[in-house]
Amino acid sequence: MITEYALETKGLEKIYRARFGGREIKAVSDLSLRVPVGAKFGLLGANGAGKTTFVKMVLSAVHPTGGSATIFGKDAAHPEARRPVGYLPENHRFPTYLSGTGMLDFYGALSGIDSADRKKRIPEYLDMVGLNGWGDVRIKKYSKGMLQRLGLAQALIHKPRLLILDEPTDGVDPVGRREIRDVLNRLTGSGVTVFLNSHLLAEVESFCEYVAILKKGQLALEGKISSLVAGTGYSIVASNIPDAAKEAFKQRGVTISPHDSGLELRAATREESNQIIDSIRAAGGFIESMHASNISLEDVFIKTTTNAGQAEKVA
Amino acid sequence: MNVRVYGALIRDTFQEAMARWLFWGLFALSSLLVLIFLFVLRIDLVQGAISVTGVSGSARPVYNIQHFVNVSYSWVSTTLYIWGTFVAVFASSGLIPSVLEPGRIALLLSKPLSRTTLLLGRYAGNILVVLLNHVYLIGSIWIIIGIKTGIWDPRFLLSIPVALFAFAVLLCVVVLIGVMYESAALSTMAAIALMLISTILAQRSFVVRLLDSEWSRDLWQTLYWIVPKIFDLGNALRQIILFEKDADLMTPILTSAAFGLIIMLRAIYVFRRKDF
Repeated sequence: MITEYALETKGLEKIYRARFGGREIKAVSDLSLRVPVGAKFGLLGANGAGKTTFVKMVLSAVHPTGGSATIFGKDAAHPEARRPVGYLPENHRFPTYLSGTGMLDFYGALSGIDSADRKKRIPEYLDMVGLNGWGDVRIKKYSKGMLQRLGLAQALIHKPRLLILDEPTDGVDPVGRREIRDVLNRLTGSGVTVFLNSHLLAEVESFCEYVAILKKGQLALEGKISSLVAGTGYSIVASNIPDAAKEAFKQRGVTISPHDSGLELRAATREESNQIIDSIRAAGGFIESMHASNISLEDVFIKTTTNAGQAEKVA
Repeated sequence: MNVRVYGALIRDTFQEAMARWLFWGLFALSSLLVLIFLFVLRIDLVQGAISVTGVSGSARPVYNIQHFVNVSYSWVSTTLYIWGTFVAVFASSGLIPSVLEPGRIALLLSKPLSRTTLLLGRYAGNILVVLLNHVYLIGSIWIIIGIKTGIWDPRFLLSIPVALFAFAVLLCVVVLIGVMYESAALSTMAAIALMLISTILAQRSFVVRLLDSEWSRDLWQTLYWIVPKIFDLGNALRQIILFEKDADLMTPILTSAAFGLIIMLRAIYVFRRKDF
């Protein structure tokens, strides 16, 4: 039974107000979220959905205009609450005048690690992220993927209990992605909570247990991934579909992908699959095949972010 | 714990100053000035002056040489004060906005340190970079003059804390502008403008006589007391070195410190409320 939350927000809200009485922009609205201790939690949303604003509010880089956030029960606005947090920001700009070792030493010191421990841990963590031998090289010589790995080492060096990662595999090659995922899996095995903010649905689906989907700053869907993708969906393969009909399907939130026999369209329910079939035939298209299939997280995401509706919670 | 955090922030400021060539630029300019003083203050000139005053009469040779050295000291110290403050403001104006770059500030703020600590750590790093430069520049010239004249007057070294204090006050302005607008150029402009305004306002005994209305005279006097007294600090330094009895260092120090404190508190307030 889960008794504690690594991260909890209640009615979190951020409104940006333009100067001189200009219009208001609601970046995040009434967002209540609970991340259980030890969970692998993914946050999804289209561009501008409020994911990064949410993370920045949790880390106090952005001040909420309403609601509250706690980290392991402590008010997130207090610096001490951030001591057990490791963070890898999106579009980070590490000081390029530092070496890999220098950077880990600097952020390690800010995280409260004493000098002796830093000396011991830095080679260990460089090795963990596959940067053994690169410690003395200035980070301006690092590739994008190497910077991500170094950023991960920076987020881990003080042995955090909550790891918040914003697009951690951005710019990393497939082998590197697998290695990062392995590192994260080892961490969660030891009780570390991982909060993953990513636009890569496959990454979230393969790593996370829980997911929340934001839409226009609001929580649109939350739950266990296994529950969200449970149940049967339908795959319809059709040919000769006119462009106008394709557009109409996209606007309805139907997932369309190329197929050897034409196009594959995915439906979440039997009713929806029948509607799609009717529409294809009405538009002059031909049904080539149809079979039952699992719904992917991508289907759930597209359906959630394209359809209006209240926040839904799946156990 | 805070000592470790401050130490890391100060060390980082040093590393950035060195990487941006600001640190080396400051030292190169200081070295250039040291070389100029070495070249201008020729040992034969001083020896010549000593020998001339020694021959001209037994009544005042020592006094004259001492006065000659005092005047030289006051001139040199005022020059170093102005030079050092100008160069230091130019060199360090980018060190505050650079830390506010998106992608860098978000990571710093995720660490368990307060925004006040972050800003003051950066401020302290800037001060220490300039302190090292001032010690090198003014200390070197003091040694050169001491070796050449044989007179080791410690009052000359007062230039170090006075110049550092003036810089510390101006750096508060750089910090406030940097935090508000994240612009190194604007920060520099504001600090340099303040130095110039301070010089103009300090001429109040002359200007007040030219102003024909009471309110304009009051305005001038009010502005004089508000704005940090960068000019008066240099003037007081010169007077102290010349043993002038009406030298007043405390008034410009106290009023300028009050100005710096208020500006720094405002900078902290703005920084604490800002979204990144």
